[in-house]
Amino acid sequence: MSTDYRIAVDIGGTFVDAVELDMATGAFRFEKAPTTPAAPAEGVLDAVGRLRESLSDVSMFIHGTTLGLNAVLERRGAKTGIITNDGFRDIFLVGRGNVPDAHMYDFQYQRPESLVPRRRIAGVVGRLDYKGREITPLDEDGVREAARLLVQDHGVEAIAVAYLFSFRNPAHEQRSAEIIRAMYPQVKVSVSSDITREHREYERTSTTVLDAYIRPIFERYIDELRAALSTRDFEGRFAIMRSGGGAMSAQAAKTSPTQTVLSGPAGGLVGGALIAEILERPDLVTFDVGGTSLDVCLIEGAVPQIAHEAALENLPLLIPTYDIRTIGAGGGSIAAMEAGLLKVGPRSASAVPGPICYRRGGTEPTVTDAALVLGYMDPESFLGGRMTLDADGAREGIEAQIAGPLGLDATQAAARIYDVMVAKNIGAVRQLTVERGRDPADFSLLAFGGAGPLIAPLVAREMGLAECIVPLLPSGFSAWGMLGADIVDDFAQTDLTVLGQGDLSTVADKFAQMEAEAAASLEAQGVGAGDALMERQLELRYLGQEHALTLTVGATLDEADLTARFADAHRALYGHAMESPVQVLTTRVRGIGRTRKPTMVKADAPATSPAMPAPTATRPAYCFARREMVDFAVYARDTLPAFAAFHGPALVDEGTSVTVIHSDQAVEVNAYGHLVITQEGDAA
Amino acid sequence: MTTVDGAFTEIVQSYLSAAANEMKATLVRTSFNPVIYEVLDFGISVYDDKLDLIAEAPGLTFFLGANDYAVRRVLDYYGRENLKEGDVLISNYPYWNGAHAADATLMAPVFDEHGKLFSVMLIRAHWMDLGAKDPGYVLDSTDMHQEGLVFPGTKVFSDGKPVQEIIELIKFNSRMPEHVLGDLNAQVAALRTGERRLHEILKKFGRADLEAAIAAIQTHGETMTAEALKSLPKGSWSAEDILDDDGIGDNPVPMKVTVTITDDDFTIDFDGSSGAAKGPINMPFGATQAICKTVFKSLTTPHHVSNAGQMRALKVKAEEGTLFHAKYPAPTYTLWTGIVALELVFKAIAKAIPDRLAASSGGDVPGFMMIGTHPDTGQMFAISNNEACGWGASPDHDGASGLLHLSEAIVRTTPLEVMETKTTMLMERVELTPDSGGAGTHRGGAGVTRVIRFLDDGEFLTVVKKTKSPPWALNGGVQPAANRVTLFPGTDRERDVSTQRTPVKAGDRIRVMSAGGGGHGDPAGRSREAIAADIAEGYVTLAAAKRDYGYEPDA
Repeated sequence: MSTDYRIAVDIGGTFVDAVELDMATGAFRFEKAPTTPAAPAEGVLDAVGRLRESLSDVSMFIHGTTLGLNAVLERRGAKTGIITNDGFRDIFLVGRGNVPDAHMYDFQYQRPESLVPRRRIAGVVGRLDYKGREITPLDEDGVREAARLLVQDHGVEAIAVAYLFSFRNPAHEQRSAEIIRAMYPQVKVSVSSDITREHREYERTSTTVLDAYIRPIFERYIDELRAALSTRDFEGRFAIMRSGGGAMSAQAAKTSPTQTVLSGPAGGLVGGALIAEILERPDLVTFDVGGTSLDVCLIEGAVPQIAHEAALENLPLLIPTYDIRTIGAGGGSIAAMEAGLLKVGPRSASAVPGPICYRRGGTEPTVTDAALVLGYMDPESFLGGRMTLDADGAREGIEAQIAGPLGLDATQAAARIYDVMVAKNIGAVRQLTVERGRDPADFSLLAFGGAGPLIAPLVAREMGLAECIVPLLPSGFSAWGMLGADIVDDFAQTDLTVLGQGDLSTVADKFAQMEAEAAASLEAQGVGAGDALMERQLELRYLGQEHALTLTVGATLDEADLTARFADAHRALYGHAMESPVQVLTTRVRGIGRTRKPTMVKADAPATSPAMPAPTATRPAYCFARREMVDFAVYARDTLPAFAAFHGPALVDEGTSVTVIHSDQAVEVNAYGHLVITQEGDAA
Repeated sequence: MTTVDGAFTEIVQSYLSAAANEMKATLVRTSFNPVIYEVLDFGISVYDDKLDLIAEAPGLTFFLGANDYAVRRVLDYYGRENLKEGDVLISNYPYWNGAHAADATLMAPVFDEHGKLFSVMLIRAHWMDLGAKDPGYVLDSTDMHQEGLVFPGTKVFSDGKPVQEIIELIKFNSRMPEHVLGDLNAQVAALRTGERRLHEILKKFGRADLEAAIAAIQTHGETMTAEALKSLPKGSWSAEDILDDDGIGDNPVPMKVTVTITDDDFTIDFDGSSGAAKGPINMPFGATQAICKTVFKSLTTPHHVSNAGQMRALKVKAEEGTLFHAKYPAPTYTLWTGIVALELVFKAIAKAIPDRLAASSGGDVPGFMMIGTHPDTGQMFAISNNEACGWGASPDHDGASGLLHLSEAIVRTTPLEVMETKTTMLMERVELTPDSGGAGTHRGGAGVTRVIRFLDDGEFLTVVKKTKSPPWALNGGVQPAANRVTLFPGTDRERDVSTQRTPVKAGDRIRVMSAGGGGHGDPAGRSREAIAADIAEGYVTLAAAKRDYGYEPDA
């Protein structure tokens, strides 16, 4: 049997994570390399190079990147222009006219600099009504003049074309794109109706502009990376993670880059769904703590929650995205006193200057400094010994800035920093579950990210959750998760048919048409017909409501059945149903091209419990169950056999992260090697 | 948790804020009313047993401030001792509720395990119709009884169950009962979420420690405000402006405010303003307090979650029976007075600190609504939009263009594609207006021009109260043109109006132009590059650049 490997690479803010999976044995290896923001491909190749020289045995290379997001944040995208309806030049600039919630009392608010200045926005005569009927024909000469202005006078590289009601009738947009492409073949044209068939002109325009803005750099990057991979003999399938689940071929990603902009954290959700399925824990909260933030997302019934609208720096994006919520509470979050109150975050020391203990000039104590003072990390063996931490500096910083004002010693003060951080984390997890009408106690916590296992067991304890699961390699979990991604493409159309008043055959027609598009897309991405699967969904709402619920539906549509199922779902989520008519907001088709799932190594249960290895050390650390320093047994993760069981207080160290188990918690290593932490007796 | 310290207090604050946000999440997702889910026209506040604010969720600033007043007045009437677990009260009596009768406040108590009152939660939301004299919005009422069904503080849920008689009373008095009862359900669902959450918080922390933390939260609020007050000059400053009319006649209505800052207090006094108006522009005193709180918070603790402690230094004065302190049965439906008065208070304060404040924004929320019958469904619709305006220039940057007024800056405009789908309006133009921002070293933001063509007959309501006096500028900046609403432009019926209910026929046009913001600093101080950029972007025409800045283009 020939060897067959998959490699997944995730670019983070500080490190590139690369995971290699042996498809035959399920064994995997993990490497890290520094992120190279100026030339992202270099960091990727560096990390991959640490795994293996030749890529000839690699059948699939899956990549998650925040390149598009960074291009927006740093304003490094293409010089972009917009063509819109005459008289509506400011749809993109004015948006919905609102300031972000956090600025509600800031009466000198300024918008961030626009991706497209007003001078590069041109209006063209032509108008459709709300049913897509033509009111004013498209002025084709006007299109030519607008294109000439944008390209020749302003030198744009990309043009976004977005007209009112194009989701009803794309004719004007399509004709305009044809004209522009014929005039200027070198200019990239992004057309709103190609990207999203959903209503709301600002949101659709913003999505189109982001597509145009990102696409040229994204294409260059993909081409560069593909070339570099082939010099290492890579001949397999090259896929890019999507923000809303699954992956797409790199070729498809080039023409649809907005699908990938939030793909970095998506791998963690794909991995989370896989764990939910194999462990038969259908309801999980993923808890991903990095340097600056906590990312949480809900997995219900082994399916991660999807939002149909995301935002990039407040710019809306009508692209299905895992509904990941981010709060400014990570390892680098700064602790500071403010008029007697201890605040933790949202200010972050980030990578530079970083926590005090990193010795990179940080002077304000952070959560990481608190973890060090609490004894959770060994200053000598951080990142496998590649970096020594300044424990004295961390202690002194906390003593002077936090412990003094609170009248505590440094250890107690560090514990208070943790307490405040944990309270914020709990708020974020609760918000997610409440929005779904669910009780947080029904969920298990899945901890990953470098700092996730340092905090998550405590959060689970405080929230009274049944268990906290720590997968292998938590700091590389997102990359690991990408290994199991299917090839996926999503299609959606705003519909607005009212059940009982319209003809459902139009909905069925839309499904059929979108399924044909999905099948073609999957085929173009190399998916065999036997591996393609179609999922139909309807977003339904009561007529008059804005928010909709998504139901997965079968091949036949029955109005009475849909109405009843919708009422059930509404009751489950909101506690009541109504007598109002039900309206189809959006029809959605997800085409899924199943890839071969990686083998997960599952150990057989031994007849007797395996012997526990001896701890590598014993170290005093802070136990939140007893609220004092006690001796923690330290275990090396790779020495723990499957089915081993032990009690806290314990620290499980695996070089790139440490799991903290308090004295009223128990751990079982399951058949797959995950740590499953449960509560013994009453939590505080 | 063992000690009540600065960390414990912060933790309690996190939990309380999370509870308010969970209530908001429930309300937004379950509401039936676009004014709630799209326009975010609601306010959620949580009080302790002394009825001091302990948490709120982001919402309409005026709604939040009015809640503080309503909780006391309504419970003075109902009696705190009469509250029972599972009860929900409804109030929309303007003089106690601090708003017009369309804003329905639902409140529910939370008790501890000993049956002692721990908290009262309030959710205020704008309801579509409660049987006022006209559908949609009332623009010309002359007493409260023309403004809809009124509840003083009435039990609508008892022991967790709806009081059927009250529900039916609402149903039979509303033109849109489905929407209204849908909102009622959403508000109750949100209150239940809050109640469950507060019970958990009580159980987790214990009442004694919670009370200690809540006291510390209030002290922290007081301290932060006192710190901010220190940086303000001490003295007394007045400003005046006019409201276009009272909704009945055409005469402008005078407003005056005096702001007095001492070491300990910040007093806003509306003495010198008009007496009670005949039309519905009178402000319930709770609404007047709400605008003052919004101003005060923006000056002192804009980035902190709200609590009662932050407001203790604020004193608001307005004599009962005048424009800013409505007395029964004065009509109060058109609360735009408060929006215009917000900028008036800033105008007075700007005399003290012109180098720290922005000039006036467009000065108002030019609102409009269409009421008609949809040809596709045969159903009545009433769809509104609050127009964006230009914001005033700041001491160090230009004002933002096309933002909702300061008083409701997190509210969103209604998407054109939603509006045209639900109504019989067709937008011919919605664009920023060139030269609408006041010139200055820093330029005011641009307002919006909207031209609407009607495809079918109906009624069109405009609610604008600042078309007769321009937005004020600062430090030598230029005042821009005021808001302007023009009926039937280009026909022999053309005329400008402010607040008006206008019958429209298919083919008619109406133009709404929101004002830009005032300029900040002498126009002579604006750089040539900035002026050239304004011209290139189309914010300023060449002619206006010549006139306002003496600008001559390169030969």
